[in-house]
Amino acid sequence: MFHLTDKAVCLKNVRFRYKGSNRWVLDGVSLDVARGECVAVLGPTGSGKSTLCGVMNGTVPLFLEGDLQGDVLVDGMVPAKVGTAKMAAHVGLVFGDPDMQLFGMTVEEDVAFGPANLGLDYPTIMERVHKSLVDMRLTGLERRAPYRLSGGERQATAIAGVYAMLPDIMVLDEPTSMLDPQGKASVFSIIKRLKEELGITVILVEQEVDDVLELADRVFVMNAGRFVLQGTPREVFGRVAEVAAAGVRVPHVVRFGTLLGAERVPFTLDEAVQLVESGGWLSGAWRDTSDDAGAGGEKGTTTTAGHTSNAVSGATSPGHPLGDVIIEVKGLEHRYPQGALALRGVDLTVREGEFIAIIGQNGAGKTTLTRHLNGLLKPTAGDVRIGGRSIKDLTAAQVSRTVGYVFQNPDEQLFCNSVEEELRFGPGNVGLTGEELDRRVEEILQDIGLAGYREVWPKYLTKGERQRLALASVVAMDPAILIVDEPTTGLDWLESLQIMDYLKRLHDDRGKTVLIITHDMNIVSLYARRVVVMAGGRVVGDGSPQEVFSNPGLMAKANLKPPAIAELSVRLCGQVALTPEEAVETLMHLKGAREGLQ
Amino acid sequence: MIVEYESKNTPIHSLDPRAKILWLLVVVVISVIWSDPVYLFGLAVSVFIFGAFARFPWEKLKGLAVFLTVMAVIITLAQGVTYTPAVAHLKEPGRVLFHIIPAWVPGVGPAWPVKLGGFLYGIGMTLKVFTVLVAVAVLGYVTSPSEIVQLIARIPKMPYQVGFIVSTAWKFVPVVQAQIRSLMDAHKSKGVELDRGSFVERLKKTSRVVSPLFANALSMADTLALAMESRAFGSSKRFTFLRPYRFKALDYVVVLACLGAAITSIAGLALYKVGSL
Repeated sequence: MFHLTDKAVCLKNVRFRYKGSNRWVLDGVSLDVARGECVAVLGPTGSGKSTLCGVMNGTVPLFLEGDLQGDVLVDGMVPAKVGTAKMAAHVGLVFGDPDMQLFGMTVEEDVAFGPANLGLDYPTIMERVHKSLVDMRLTGLERRAPYRLSGGERQATAIAGVYAMLPDIMVLDEPTSMLDPQGKASVFSIIKRLKEELGITVILVEQEVDDVLELADRVFVMNAGRFVLQGTPREVFGRVAEVAAAGVRVPHVVRFGTLLGAERVPFTLDEAVQLVESGGWLSGAWRDTSDDAGAGGEKGTTTTAGHTSNAVSGATSPGHPLGDVIIEVKGLEHRYPQGALALRGVDLTVREGEFIAIIGQNGAGKTTLTRHLNGLLKPTAGDVRIGGRSIKDLTAAQVSRTVGYVFQNPDEQLFCNSVEEELRFGPGNVGLTGEELDRRVEEILQDIGLAGYREVWPKYLTKGERQRLALASVVAMDPAILIVDEPTTGLDWLESLQIMDYLKRLHDDRGKTVLIITHDMNIVSLYARRVVVMAGGRVVGDGSPQEVFSNPGLMAKANLKPPAIAELSVRLCGQVALTPEEAVETLMHLKGAREGLQ
Repeated sequence: MIVEYESKNTPIHSLDPRAKILWLLVVVVISVIWSDPVYLFGLAVSVFIFGAFARFPWEKLKGLAVFLTVMAVIITLAQGVTYTPAVAHLKEPGRVLFHIIPAWVPGVGPAWPVKLGGFLYGIGMTLKVFTVLVAVAVLGYVTSPSEIVQLIARIPKMPYQVGFIVSTAWKFVPVVQAQIRSLMDAHKSKGVELDRGSFVERLKKTSRVVSPLFANALSMADTLALAMESRAFGSSKRFTFLRPYRFKALDYVVVLACLGAAITSIAGLALYKVGSL
């Protein structure tokens, strides 16, 4: 038994497997968290992070049943004995999707939900609601309906609702996974406040590694139900190869420092600049990136923070010849029936063989624009021509032969009873049958790595697999153009690379024209050759990733931030690099040139 | 017809939910007992006035309006052809107004005569359906699900959790509607012509959304239950309502007006056949 009740959380050799399963989702996890500490748990999907969160408030094994072994003590209590509802006043759990945890019709009502469940009296509830709203900076929004708030505000409301129950510990399970960059920034500022000003013990499960580095006191990397790395952020991210091997994205700035052979890896842009300017890297520096094979690096190909991918960046890949104009958008306006003008005169020309990323904040008009490209929406004014033909007189089903559209949420576009049936559905609708259909389905099953799952109900696949299947079910129709709405949202880094690499193969090997909508600037820098920036229903910028990321005015106008490596390379070399490898190469080139001059 | 609740500062929104529900009940009762289209038209106008005080977004009823127009034509013509009620204040309820197939159609015309009594009866039926559907939409717009929770929780021996189940189901109707739209869009994007073919074919194609919708709803229910439990739902036998409702002066006015209208219309019909055809 424990004698460490001064600790906020004490887990000792915890194992858990779900009812009916033989696999230990948690396989010997031990964790001590001191009061007021901020601990980050990183790791790929399926590594056991969410189960670990559930163990801390008792939803595992009380709600999600199974076999729990080992000792669990949270705020001095055993959650499985006390019960989730009663633990709520001690440990608050916040989930990734804000919409699934808001119960009130107004912000105020929602924040009051927890305290009201505790049966507190009215004045006490209102006192707590008021404090929560002030502390989470939500004052002024009390009477607003949650669905009318931005994503960041909705998640802040969810956090306020948990905080109003005055827990000592808050467990946040990927709280920014569904948010755009602005929403993520807002939620991270709240978590920082919880930790630094409000003295709450924070256990944060995240995929956004860059933000975690500055926030967490300690980092735990989880894989296959175990902690494979733990320590301070500096200790953990000093072991780049192991972090990458565990399936966690290594931030570009850290990767940059590692490539330079820095003894103390930089976490921030300032630290990286200081490293270069101090010359501390020169002695052991610029190891050939092929030395970093263990970390996934490979000179000559673009790598993504330690993971091998087939990414092409605008800077490093050889030029790909472009074909004729395939999409032509002229003066496109769209007004929704409710009255909102979502597009205000968009002009856009896309040539065959392009790989375009459309970026912008939520509400910028990205999805409204792309839904016109496959005929799901019709213009209020202006025109969209696909292959020279106006979409005005075509149905979405007719356009689908040329333009494949993959929605953000795979669960809203998978409706068949098996993986194979799902792949046959689209081609069957456009008249493909017989051996040709069999051959295509077989080829795609191999391509997306789901050949062993052909009879499986798609709902049983992981989110990453479902996302790949959703994409493949559209690819099976063999459209010339593929539009993918946020292909990596909610996926871990390895899953993101898998889906993006598949898109890249379709582009490179089969000549598909690809348009993606994304909030992830790392993905943009690694895969896109052209970036279209949208804001307020207009295209406000259009160019190569280098052109877009080196234009601070444009990025500010769209309320976006370039990837850290782009900012860093501009500061160090005066030009945009899209990967750490490219940044180091540019730096070495400049250094060589300077030495040549001397 | 469900129109999502919106929190607004109008006298109708601030009414006690019991007063609002009584209003709907009275509208339903009167629309059932009356059959004269003139009186029913008056009732419909009163519902519109009630909605106007609530600043109801009428544009949200566009879909309903299209549906009702089609229904109105069908019901009115069908009643006109098939039914000739004894109409107290009409001398000739059986007078033919026009023929659905006019005389100039060779071989068959004139056929299917539309008679005055049935025609008026059909208009009355249409107005009944129209009035009740609009009243339900207005009630949904002005009544927060949390008011429904309170109402249910006040039923003796009823656990407050039951009210939450009802209100959560109500609140997620728009979410499910959005999912249906997404699933249908996904079908169209995979080459399915949902809007083409016979009625049975279209029904068959659209029915494919049911299975994923059901699976998504189950998974959503699971997540919601987990999130509610994590917010101490059910930890205490007591739940403190944020704005416990109490009858105010306006509530008494509405209740008295509704009861007065109900009694008057029932008595008027029984004694003097007011509102009857």
